[in-house]
Amino acid sequence: MAPRALAIETSGLTKRFRRVAALNDCSVTVPEGKIAALIGPNGAGKTTLLRMLCGLSEPTAGTASVLGATPRQDPKFLAQVGFLAQEMPLYRRMSAGDLIKVGAHLNSRWDASLVRTRLGELDIPLDRAVGKLSGGQRSQVALSLVLAKRPRLLLLDEPVAALDPLARRHFLATITWAVAESEGSLTVVLSSHLLADIERICDHLILLAASQVQLCGDTRDLLAEHEKLTGPRAQDVSLEEMVLGYMDASAPSAYRDLKTVGEQ
Amino acid sequence: MTFLVWRQYRLQWAIALALLAAFAAVELVNGFQVAREWHSLLSACAAAPASQAGPGGSCLNQNIIGLVGNDLRILSVLVPPVLGMLWGAPLIAHELETGTAGFVLTQGVTRTRWLATRVGILLLTAALWAGAISALVTWWSGPENAQRADAFQANYFDTQGITPIGYAVFAMALGIAAGVLLRRTIPAIAVTLGGFIGFRLFFDDFARQHLMPAVTTVTSMTSMWSPRGISWVLNSGMLNASGQPMNVNGFGSYMIDGVPVNELPAACQAHAASGNPSAPISTGSGNPSAVISCLGKAGFRQFTTYQPGSRYWAFQGIETGIYVLVAAALLAVAWYVIRHRDA
Repeated sequence: MAPRALAIETSGLTKRFRRVAALNDCSVTVPEGKIAALIGPNGAGKTTLLRMLCGLSEPTAGTASVLGATPRQDPKFLAQVGFLAQEMPLYRRMSAGDLIKVGAHLNSRWDASLVRTRLGELDIPLDRAVGKLSGGQRSQVALSLVLAKRPRLLLLDEPVAALDPLARRHFLATITWAVAESEGSLTVVLSSHLLADIERICDHLILLAASQVQLCGDTRDLLAEHEKLTGPRAQDVSLEEMVLGYMDASAPSAYRDLKTVGEQ
Repeated sequence: MTFLVWRQYRLQWAIALALLAAFAAVELVNGFQVAREWHSLLSACAAAPASQAGPGGSCLNQNIIGLVGNDLRILSVLVPPVLGMLWGAPLIAHELETGTAGFVLTQGVTRTRWLATRVGILLLTAALWAGAISALVTWWSGPENAQRADAFQANYFDTQGITPIGYAVFAMALGIAAGVLLRRTIPAIAVTLGGFIGFRLFFDDFARQHLMPAVTTVTSMTSMWSPRGISWVLNSGMLNASGQPMNVNGFGSYMIDGVPVNELPAACQAHAASGNPSAPISTGSGNPSAVISCLGKAGFRQFTTYQPGSRYWAFQGIETGIYVLVAAALLAVAWYVIRHRDA
């Protein structure tokens, strides 16, 4: 397969809040058209990285190149990038219909019919205040609004953390649908703690722990490499096993000897 | 952005408009009543001697002030700080707090446009609202201003004319800047209230009287002169023979124009009270007019330091201008911080 262009390339990206480094010397790449998982323990710097990639936050040091440009508050750059923050902030007293109109006023490219069609298919009312919708419905509204920009890069910060299993499945299905529909021009980076979901839909992996990049690459390549390192096993190494192995290694030493019930 | 602001604030604007209408209704009904009474008083006093029919004269000095209208005039002092707390402080802080700032700023909108549209529209709305309230209060105060000639005094100057607009713009800018810096609504509201009260107290008590150099007029001891119309008297009293102001804050039961008699020249003290220097003049044992003419002969004069009433609108303009300039500086800080700090 021919090497694909990079949707994201960061080099030595660092963010410090006062003296504390939220992200340290982060160099990662995500090729175009991938669904990349951004994983790591709480406080590993996932949100910090995503906020820097969409221009909401300025790096303290290092550089980021997103779709060939430096992330900044510029309509041309922003038109290509969709960002969904963890708490899915929407104006809660406005209806989905209002928010579609708002989006049309705020964006140069805006596919209102895409949102209307999708929300119609999902039986989500356009005239009810989004604060009164269920969490699953609200997340679908938020995601549809981001997709209406027809972005080339979608940055999603723990989008399914607050959803029940069914809503989660619907949400992830929407993402894979959007990627398939774009025929390889849409790249997704999604942070999550749910390794089973990630294993199902992601083909690229970035593992952050202790504010540093532990792993970055194609999921299958990473697994194969890990298997080589740990030696042949009776069965394939699972993603969860590999990820936990890395997270454990960078956790405070006091945790390392603790085992949950059932582990040998 | 304009559509978003309209959609976000239309309910609040409807409520603000309803409150304004209620305020106008009360002030108009009461104001016409006050005006009617004032005009009948004027025609009743038309025949009276000029000394009684002039401003402050005894004929015109009847109670015509409507209670409700006057209460609303006094309450209108609260309009600017309330605008600053309810519209200014949350304008950016609430967006940062709820994360909707991140939602808007990852659409195709620059931070400058985001801030400028929100601030511009709400600042204009607040200025219009405060201006409408002030216009009503100014109109209502017409008869009272003519009767008592005190529009230049504290508590009148700040509820009429254009100063309330300056205060409102300042309160809004203070709330916006506090919200941008603190990023939280409730602390920003507290800072707005404290900052507004502090700045206004400082300005009222220490700055306003110096906006233009005051005029001092010196008259003879027997003159009945006082500055005309709504002039704002800052200080008045007696000058001794060498032109030094006498201590008018003296303490004692026996005073001439606020000056203890024992500080006056010995020759004049004798007129104050024959045989009983400690008896108050009002007991009749002394002769105040004899004391005053004695002081006049000794070279004493009266002085009055004041801001002439003709400067009323100049003062209104200068004070409003200063408040608007301070507001502009606060908004510049907000703009700088929004551009350079993470959203």
